[in-house]
Amino acid sequence: MAEATKHEGALEKKLLEKVGEAISSIGDAKHVDEVICAIHSVAVFLFPVDPSFFSGSIGETYRERVCSTVVPSADERDDWSQTFFRGVSFPTFARVLLLDVASDWLSCFPVSVQKHLYDLFFLDGPVIEVVQVLVPFLHHVDKNGGVNANSVQTNVERLLILCLLENDGVLKITKEIGDCYGGENSSSGSLKPLLSRLSQILTCIPDKARLKAPPLLSSHLYFKHITNQLLQILDDKASCTEANSTAIILSFVGEIFSRICRRGLSDLLLSEVTPHVLAHVRRLLNSKEGLFEIEAFQLDPTPRIWSKTMEAVTDPYAVEKMAEQLLHQLYAKHASDVEAFWTIWTLFHRNVKHQASLRQAKISFSVLECPPVTNTLAKGDITHELLETTQRLASVWSKEDFLRSVPLEQQTYITTALGLCLENMSKEELDRTKDVMHNILRGVSCRLENPGDLVRKMASSIAFVFSRVIDPKNPLYLDDSFTGDAIDWEFELQTAEGRVRAITSSMGNEDGETKTSASLTEVNDSNGRNKEKKSRKSKEISHFVLADPDEIVDLATLNCETESDGDDVDDNASLSSDNSSVTSLEPYDLIDDDKDLGKQFTHLVDVVGALRKSDDADGVEKAINVAEKLVRASPDELTHIAGDLARILVQVRCSNITIEGEEDSAEEKRQRALIALLVTRPFESLETLNSVLYSPNVDVSQRIMILDVMAEAARELASSRTLKPKHAAHGPLISDISDPQPWYLPSSASTPWKKVSETGSFHLNWANRFERELQPKPGQTKKGKTRRWSLRSRDRDQNSTDWSQNRFPLYAAAFMLPAMKEFDKRRHGVDLLGRDFIVLGKLVHMLGVCMQCASMHPEASALAISLLDMLQRREVCNHAEAYVRRAVLFAASSVLVALHPSYIVSALVEGSLELARALEWIRTWALQIADSDIDRDCYTMALSCLQLHAEMALQTSRALESTGGSSSSVGPMNISLPSAISKLTSIQLPSPNVHL
Amino acid sequence: MSKRPPPDPVAVLRGHRHSVMDVSFHPSKSLLFTGSADGELRIWDTVQHRAVSSAWAHSRANGVLAVAASPWLGEDKIISQGRDGTVKCWDIEDAGLSRDPLLVLNTSAYHFCKFSLVKKPKISLKEDGGHSKNCDEQDAGDTRDVQCTDDTERAVEDSGVLQDGDLADGATYVAVAGEQPSEVELWDLSTGNRIMQLPQASPGESSSASTKERGMCMAVQLFCPPGSQGFLNVLAGYEDGSMLLWDIRNAMIPLTSVKFHSEPVLSLCVASSCDGGISGGADNKIVMYNLNHLTGSCTLRKEIILERPGVSGTSIRPDGKIAATAGWDHRVRVYNYRKGNALAILKYHRATCNAVSYSPDCELMASASEDATVALWKLYPPHQSL
Repeated sequence: MAEATKHEGALEKKLLEKVGEAISSIGDAKHVDEVICAIHSVAVFLFPVDPSFFSGSIGETYRERVCSTVVPSADERDDWSQTFFRGVSFPTFARVLLLDVASDWLSCFPVSVQKHLYDLFFLDGPVIEVVQVLVPFLHHVDKNGGVNANSVQTNVERLLILCLLENDGVLKITKEIGDCYGGENSSSGSLKPLLSRLSQILTCIPDKARLKAPPLLSSHLYFKHITNQLLQILDDKASCTEANSTAIILSFVGEIFSRICRRGLSDLLLSEVTPHVLAHVRRLLNSKEGLFEIEAFQLDPTPRIWSKTMEAVTDPYAVEKMAEQLLHQLYAKHASDVEAFWTIWTLFHRNVKHQASLRQAKISFSVLECPPVTNTLAKGDITHELLETTQRLASVWSKEDFLRSVPLEQQTYITTALGLCLENMSKEELDRTKDVMHNILRGVSCRLENPGDLVRKMASSIAFVFSRVIDPKNPLYLDDSFTGDAIDWEFELQTAEGRVRAITSSMGNEDGETKTSASLTEVNDSNGRNKEKKSRKSKEISHFVLADPDEIVDLATLNCETESDGDDVDDNASLSSDNSSVTSLEPYDLIDDDKDLGKQFTHLVDVVGALRKSDDADGVEKAINVAEKLVRASPDELTHIAGDLARILVQVRCSNITIEGEEDSAEEKRQRALIALLVTRPFESLETLNSVLYSPNVDVSQRIMILDVMAEAARELASSRTLKPKHAAHGPLISDISDPQPWYLPSSASTPWKKVSETGSFHLNWANRFERELQPKPGQTKKGKTRRWSLRSRDRDQNSTDWSQNRFPLYAAAFMLPAMKEFDKRRHGVDLLGRDFIVLGKLVHMLGVCMQCASMHPEASALAISLLDMLQRREVCNHAEAYVRRAVLFAASSVLVALHPSYIVSALVEGSLELARALEWIRTWALQIADSDIDRDCYTMALSCLQLHAEMALQTSRALESTGGSSSSVGPMNISLPSAISKLTSIQLPSPNVHL
Repeated sequence: MSKRPPPDPVAVLRGHRHSVMDVSFHPSKSLLFTGSADGELRIWDTVQHRAVSSAWAHSRANGVLAVAASPWLGEDKIISQGRDGTVKCWDIEDAGLSRDPLLVLNTSAYHFCKFSLVKKPKISLKEDGGHSKNCDEQDAGDTRDVQCTDDTERAVEDSGVLQDGDLADGATYVAVAGEQPSEVELWDLSTGNRIMQLPQASPGESSSASTKERGMCMAVQLFCPPGSQGFLNVLAGYEDGSMLLWDIRNAMIPLTSVKFHSEPVLSLCVASSCDGGISGGADNKIVMYNLNHLTGSCTLRKEIILERPGVSGTSIRPDGKIAATAGWDHRVRVYNYRKGNALAILKYHRATCNAVSYSPDCELMASASEDATVALWKLYPPHQSL
């Protein structure tokens, strides 16, 4: 041994000398042939160089030197080359070859020299070493500037392609590994990190390659080649007997697989792998007919090889991606269930067995494990596994943390898996398991409370399956919309896009418009959409709001429209029976309905009284039916009774009073009555509602209802329109300039002139015509059909009236402040920050709606600070439930929309940094959400929030500029300005570093 | 023929503050009397549709149960019954009530049975053969109204002036459920004394026991059938749904007993011809029946089944052509009395109807309801030329 080492040392020394000589002669070289000679002098010791291939292309003097070199024997050469590649000589010489030679001389080399001499060093050497040397130079940046980087890199790329792709370098690597392993068993420990490094180097090549690198090095083509080579390796391994090195090679392959997946190319990988495996599976299925398939598969080497390979894929992410892609591929390849099963089995069954922690993978398997199991296998074997799987799934599924901390996609996976497992279980089996039943019940109950539709649907699906296991004849339908026999698990397998849409739509219902920044900037817009949603309702509302204030509202007509329908009964008709004898008494229409039966209310006092009698269901229902109309009529008594009415409306239990299936309508009427109440008498009713909101007497649903109603009422107040006579500008008050009519119109008209609309602009059209409505001559009367529109045309009506909008700001403080005051107090039955998170979410959302409704009004600015104070509480903004975070994002976005830029400017100018700090907090917090939140909606909402923030900052800086320009002359103002501006700039950096 | 929609009231009289319990037309003047549950008795002008006067006839707590006017008592008198155990007779002065009642009958009855004045047929010359019994007198059109008829054939305008000498004794009687609610008592309004009770309490008789089993008397109608020589008959409805017909000459045993209703009989009305009538109860039936005074029997003529139960008042128009019922379902229903077919369902009231009544001239019908309104209707006005 010592001798061998000594011998090796001597060789090494000799080699180094040679290399040194060669390097120095390259450095001194004046002619390309000198370089070739120097290289050849080294190469001749290492490779079987045949000078005749290139001797023709070099100069005469050098040709002789080359040809006359002493060629060592083959044995000696092996020794030399082993020593050369293992020691420092190769890296040293390669450096010279790759940098100096490549940049200075390589272009002068004849093609034959390059091919038969220069490339030898890299193509004939052990690929492991070569790759390790080559790859760093891919990215070489020369600091001395003496080297032509471009030619160096082009050369390296060329060599890599030659080495790895065209000469099947990966195949060679595995062979080398096998040799190494066979040679020295002891070094297997050190082999592992080497292989891991190697696989990393191999897979990072496309990343390191320059943009203008040859297309073969683009990640797509490159990995395709690599994968093919890997597949070939696996085939080789399967066909030959198992060697010691097999395991390590397989793990090497596995590692490359996993790295490819990590680089996001799982689709590419699987598109190669799947057909390959599938072909194997089909072959086995065809050939081994009659045999038990499981044995066939266990005996055949291919699956073993594959599963060992996959075992090496330890990265859960990679496994997940592979599994997902595999399913896609199987689907695309039209694999039958059995084939698909065995494919998956081949690839993943070891993972399932040995790496229980890989939940992602496991799920996909248990999904597809079931069908073939029941079809093809003796059940006993699998049942045990199935139970175990189910148990594990159920325990994970039931955890609340899981619900909170895992993205929705993953939850749908698990739910599907659990559901499919359950479908294949019997009651006895279920009884045998330990906790499954308990876990499922827990999981269902915590999901049913969740605000997300999809989550609830998961719960109800599982509950349905579960109940069918327990008692097949009596399935439990938790969801009205779902009545079928079998569950469509497809909702789990929807594309991501669909899923998001489902969520956004559900979110849209609650939050109105949170998705698009455009809609956020226009409160009116959102109101418009809101109106669409409840078109019927708003029609009614507008009907009442539009009503002429002078109009007499007859309570009786409100209540008994049906009765008053028959006003036009002609007395003649009854007179006609005057002369008739008894026998000819003509009956009237005998149609009878009981619509009007029961007590009809004309006074709100009666309504309140009836609502209090909770045992009289009919009375309560009727009271709810008329409540909104009566409230909208806004009688005098409303002021005094608003508080009582609000309280009792909140406390009424709609579900108790209505027959099955009509709860919704009663509920809707109740809410509309409350909205009407809030709109007509905001202060009185808000006082009550706010006191009720946190009282222990109401439950969560009532709190939610209160908040919903407040939000709706805010929207309605904001969009309410009242008809006011316009202050007609009759004639100029001070000067003639303010003449309301353009100069070119005839003056002194009692009704305004209008241009007749014609095509063409004013200046192009010579024949402008104007028209006006003439007032009726005295004595001339026209009968209008209704009183309201009688003689006035619509046009005129519009001219003389004014739409005053948005009454909300007046009440904004009453809406928001009391609700914000006590939200964090924990009382009996009230725990907003903890258990009642839905209420918290609704509260925050309501506050956001209020901000939107008050936007651009001074009140909004005053309230924004306190709202932001609340949002900044850590328990609120970093709440565990995504629902709350979404609401907070919505509210924050609303604040950004609602603040008038000029207010922000004035706050800054006056040196109030509170607002600046809060706005800055919005930005950082939204960034943080966008960065790290698991919930997809939170992410998108955070992004739009950032967008709004940027918009706000832009507007503010514009406003600030104008202020700065004007205030520079004012003096005291700009003392505080610089600091304020610096503060502002820190606010507004509109997140250039967000990765979308 | 397309059906006409049912008409609306020609007038609605508002002013009562509580449920209007009973309504009655003045026998000759265009006046209407109404009594409400808070004890108020109002007099209305049926031409102007205005309240003429208002008085607290009975205590506020007990209220007025029934009002009626009778030509027998004179045009200036009106009887009211309260749930305070009294029946009061008032004088009408200047279309207002006298300060104090002329007469108070302390019946000590606190039940729901409305009293009844005598109803007499106008006997035409062709007595029973005549199909039309011209009514020259007015039925005060409620179930318990006064029917004053004359032997002499007269036109409408001379109504209520005369009395038949034979009938003079009985004409001022009033029938009311007595202190014992199962008994019917007759009081004389001219003297203020109780005349008799039905069944007459006498030892050894079992009849009194038999009405006790029938429960309370819920409705009563006093009438004078033709050919009875002025002796009054009483038709009484009981809680168990049965009706008894009495002849006051034999106060021990009823003439006949029938049971048309399954629930308490709430209202009875005998047509002005006294040969039949209509009854309503708490069940979903309206029953029209015939009375045969020769055999002393009562036979079912027509049974009308209603959608919704409860008839609290019935009335037959004096000309015997149509009848009306006041229902708990807020409806006033009008029927062809002869044929028994439905003519109209009148929807106006927004609460239970308590009473209906026809005007003596057959022109108007008044309905009283718990919604504190009185509605006036004009349906099938009678033949003016007659």
